[in-house]
Amino acid sequence: MSGRISVPSNYLTLWCCYLLNYLCFQISVYLCTSGMGEVILGMPGQWAHDYREKADHYTSKIGGLPDWPDLDIPVSGKLLLCDLCGGKLCLMAQIYAPLSMAERSIDERVIYVLGCMKKDCGSNPQSWRVLRLQRCKQDIESKDEPLKAEQPEEESTSVAEDKPTSQSSSVKVCDDEDSDSDIDLDDLAQALEQAATLASNSKKQDGTKHTRKIVEGPVAKKLIYDLTTPVLPCFYIYSQRNSSEGRMDKANFVGGSSISLKEIEKSSGNESEGESWEGEAYEYDKALGADRTYLKFKKQLDAYPEQCFRYSYGGNALFPVANVPKPGACKICGSARRFELQLMPPLLYFLQEASDDSSNFSIDGWTWLTIIIFTCPKNCCSGTCDEKSGNSCRCIVEEEAIVIQDD
Amino acid sequence: MAERGDRGGFGRGFGGRGGGEGGGRGRGRGERRGGRRGNKSEEEKWVPVTKLGRLVKSNNITSIEQIYLHSLPVKEHQIIDTLLKGLKDEVMKITPVQKQTRAGQRTRFKAFVVVGDGDGHVGLGVKCAKEVATAIRGAIILAKLSVIPVRRGYWGNKIGLPHTVPCKVTGKCGSVTVRMVPAPRGAGIVAARVPKKVLQFAGIEDVFTSSRGSTKTLGNFVKATFDCLMKTYGFLTPDFWTETRFSNSPYQQYTDLLSKPTTKALLPPTEEPLQAEA
Repeated sequence: MSGRISVPSNYLTLWCCYLLNYLCFQISVYLCTSGMGEVILGMPGQWAHDYREKADHYTSKIGGLPDWPDLDIPVSGKLLLCDLCGGKLCLMAQIYAPLSMAERSIDERVIYVLGCMKKDCGSNPQSWRVLRLQRCKQDIESKDEPLKAEQPEEESTSVAEDKPTSQSSSVKVCDDEDSDSDIDLDDLAQALEQAATLASNSKKQDGTKHTRKIVEGPVAKKLIYDLTTPVLPCFYIYSQRNSSEGRMDKANFVGGSSISLKEIEKSSGNESEGESWEGEAYEYDKALGADRTYLKFKKQLDAYPEQCFRYSYGGNALFPVANVPKPGACKICGSARRFELQLMPPLLYFLQEASDDSSNFSIDGWTWLTIIIFTCPKNCCSGTCDEKSGNSCRCIVEEEAIVIQDD
Repeated sequence: MAERGDRGGFGRGFGGRGGGEGGGRGRGRGERRGGRRGNKSEEEKWVPVTKLGRLVKSNNITSIEQIYLHSLPVKEHQIIDTLLKGLKDEVMKITPVQKQTRAGQRTRFKAFVVVGDGDGHVGLGVKCAKEVATAIRGAIILAKLSVIPVRRGYWGNKIGLPHTVPCKVTGKCGSVTVRMVPAPRGAGIVAARVPKKVLQFAGIEDVFTSSRGSTKTLGNFVKATFDCLMKTYGFLTPDFWTETRFSNSPYQQYTDLLSKPTTKALLPPTEEPLQAEA
């Protein structure tokens, strides 16, 4: 282990945060595999240090550059270009959305939402592209391997090159060496223990191994040196379940109202002076600029004002307008697409806040109220998958996004 | 969810950036976003949803008149809160509304709320809900979403500030029609109790009204008055005969890219015939 370097202490906080950050998304994986009909909200987490920094494809994030996992065939250039102007698309959202269905579970499934930032394309729904990337075969013994194989990818070049084989085998050896390193690992040890207990509570057995591997590795986050692709400000997402009714009443509170319940009783006493009013009938909510459907949409938003996206596999979308075009059918298997998630407007607000100082792109061109993403219910895969166990293919399928504009 | 507590220390979203790691990095973005830790009132937590909301939050739009000029729909009540500071509200009536079900009667409460600043802006909200407090809160929000400008004029001599409606206007809702007629100074608001409140909130000092139809239906009566007030700015008087100088809507004005406003809008109206905005 002569190749090990000593880690300066000012990287410690970065490391802790990276570790905790990473774990958070590992854990949030299992929330996403909840039952149908339940809504999971993507809430904003911390900002990335550098917008081009590399995470892995298990991370859910907004903005930044897409993290492609190990691919047999790299993502074709055509998929990354805008249909209208031909320019490069930028990553809007990358959401790690594994599925656990009755017959099989797809743990390596990521959804990428790409959009074009040019002024004219922004408001045109054709400039948006949604890609679903998944690993088709999920044999039990091959489950562990992909995780281990990806470790070298994420770790920076400070790790010695001859390590990959030893990392995938004896984990314990590496841990012992770690405790002897030059770093003052007090904080990190605590974090590790926390992380280890949490990870061991999770379903996957090799989650523990996974976290320990991260510790040995990187000093600084790797940057993706791709300067040609436009990049949005990047922040990470943590998930939260939508617990509805209790929050909504609280959220409806309008500060600064000059009405109290006592005044109401007084006023209702006053009107019995001689006026008799006819009975009233139930009336739906209506305002000058907002109709009933929009008000319901806004009510859900007010419950969690910072929600960046709503995830509900197979559930119902929240439509802000009444007439929404129906999604099409999957191009491969022909089955009607089903709702999976929708992006919400607070996301635009956060991106706009971050883009105040750098003006090399414009978010003002985007005026969508929500982007609803429909995916194939069978999770079909294009191309041929090998039948041999342990040899799994990854495929990218283009899914459908419906953009609802805010006029 | 046990992990929430552990995650709370670092990833609590943008509001509580506390001693978060962004602070040490010296980036302006992090500090600005977490910066408002001092006063955490309800308004600070407003995350705008619509484009207009984002413009108002970033103080690009400072007066509500800019919104009215381009007839932009207001979809968030926080916009009105930000732009009109002195807005007062009052509950006009709360009535129970009943529906007969197999298991007895289901009663909900209907609240009528009028908001206004007494100086030309008034809004009306109606909401039904199972509880009184919820109905009132909801009605306040709906009233704020429906704030309209009210035009005032003179009865005779144009001395002092406008005090009455500029002309005879009439509004209708259901079977109720309400007609408002300009009145001289000192006449006061000559109306029934309910529309009188609406007119007071609008800032009209003197007016004669006349109503027709089944004014016992409070909802229709008050909506007819509101409709009447909406029409004050819709009435074409000789003051508006000069040609309009069109300007860019706030949506176009505040786009980042280098779109300049169309040259037609900048030319003085006398030199060019009237052209619609592109």
